[in-house]
Amino acid sequence: MNKSNKEHRLREVNCPTGFNWSNLKAELKAVWQANIKDWKIEFAYPVSFIRQLISPLVFLLPFLIYGLALVGGEYSENLAQLVGNGDVVAFIFTGYMLMGFIGTAVWAMGFSIRRERWFGTLEAIYVTPTSRLGQVLGMALHSTVHQIVGTLIQLIVVYLTFGLALKIEGVLPALGIFALMMLALYGFGIVISAVGLILKEGWVVSDSLYSIMMILSPVAYPLIVLPTVAQQASALFPTAPALVGIRSFLIENYRAEAFGNVFLHLLILGAAWILFGILVFKLTDKYVRKRGMLTKF
Amino acid sequence: MIQGAYQQSPLRSNLYVVWSELVKNIKSLLAYPTIIVFWAIFPIFWFIPFILQGQAFVGGSESASFAQITGSGEYIPFIVIGAVLNSYVNTLLYGMGENIRKEAYQGTLDYVLVAPCNQVYVLIGKALSESLSSTIFAVSQLAISVLLFGMNITLGVIAPVFFIIILLILGLYGMALILAAVSLMYKQSYDLSETIGYIFYIFAPVRYPIESLPTWAQIFGKLIPITYALIIVRSIILLGADLSAVYLEVIALIIIDAVLLLAGFYLFSWMEKKTRKSGTISHH
Repeated sequence: MNKSNKEHRLREVNCPTGFNWSNLKAELKAVWQANIKDWKIEFAYPVSFIRQLISPLVFLLPFLIYGLALVGGEYSENLAQLVGNGDVVAFIFTGYMLMGFIGTAVWAMGFSIRRERWFGTLEAIYVTPTSRLGQVLGMALHSTVHQIVGTLIQLIVVYLTFGLALKIEGVLPALGIFALMMLALYGFGIVISAVGLILKEGWVVSDSLYSIMMILSPVAYPLIVLPTVAQQASALFPTAPALVGIRSFLIENYRAEAFGNVFLHLLILGAAWILFGILVFKLTDKYVRKRGMLTKF
Repeated sequence: MIQGAYQQSPLRSNLYVVWSELVKNIKSLLAYPTIIVFWAIFPIFWFIPFILQGQAFVGGSESASFAQITGSGEYIPFIVIGAVLNSYVNTLLYGMGENIRKEAYQGTLDYVLVAPCNQVYVLIGKALSESLSSTIFAVSQLAISVLLFGMNITLGVIAPVFFIIILLILGLYGMALILAAVSLMYKQSYDLSETIGYIFYIFAPVRYPIESLPTWAQIFGKLIPITYALIIVRSIILLGADLSAVYLEVIALIIIDAVLLLAGFYLFSWMEKKTRKSGTISHH
């Protein structure tokens, strides 16, 4: 405490700059704290927490029951002709399991900034000496773990109720594909969070994008039933190649409908979406600050 | 002007309250044209995956298994009817409770509740505006679906279907009133509305025939107003039945409506008095 007050204040607001190990460590700590903050908020509302945990199951069940009602059992001849395996339950489960993570990117990540604005804490977060993207990634970490827990609940209930035949040896490569898909989805989520900064009714854009992505992803049907243009458009989003890749590893005799090297495809998509996301976020951030629109909603 | 309003007959004054509330809500909706476009078009995107799933699983537009359960193997109109009627659940169930919460957020709830009129008429105005917007959105979704999927709907079914939709709306008003009452007292009614929405989505035959559910779930589903509305409307449109052929379902729907409306009005008046006494009306 030998230092003068002025010096002490200056030390407190000294922001880390440049890419070095100590700054990276500080950023990772900020990401972790943003994640912890979201868990604390979530645990403060136990009813909401439980509802959100079971919601992946609630949205999966109609696809499953409808599929079983359509074919009158668990095996579809037509699906077997299209992809080599007619197991309705395994096909829908592997598809819907990933869809929840699109929700993570679009809603949880995309709306993390918007939510801070509603709470009135956005300005306070913005003036902390950390990267804005770090905040978004912290919230993404929380929602990813949340979604993983929800998916495990899905897995247990579907396995016990309908029976689920998956190839255990395919789990590891499937997890690799999943990690690459999440990387690209994070980029997508960053773009959505930039939209949330500018648009007052950003949920309309997010929901519309989510709906389009849902159709372009072969969640409950093979890609081949989509029109050719839609099949080509689906290659721009990570979910379509990821679903095809994951099913190839997890479902017996599965015949991939499209896409060559899924790993390479996802790696390119991941890099492209992350770069695009960061660029859009930086530009939007600058624009919003210049216009003084930060706390408007 | 104010004196003039007081001199009017009670019925006219009350109708004026309903009208003003209706106009206010419609003006508020018109201020956000993107939201109108969204609700008129995008719910279609939510059921398109089910149609594509049907094509992948059965390889055509008819399912033999569906035909055995429902009498008609055409799953596309089955899904479209389910989705369009379910859009009333989405807007009415969440809309009413959220409408009251919105007044609290905007700081206008106190003024609405101390206005010299019966609050029931304010609620009727809110409910009518929600029904009007829901109907506009549902008609738009149905029209687009008819064009996209080539559904056949004859003019003769419009009157009985409209009658059933009114009965469905009445039942949903009852549920919405119960939710509005809860939201006055407990504020965070959103989770409750969402949970009820989940129950409707799973136990009512929105996406699949109710017979596909286990027996215990079917019994539970038969306590929900939209279950009967869906069974009746699908029988009329897909099987060409008239109302007399499904009179038991119509009676069941009317009984559920009466119970829900009575419970809703009673609960709302009770909660309103309670929150006025505790002074927590505008808390949020």
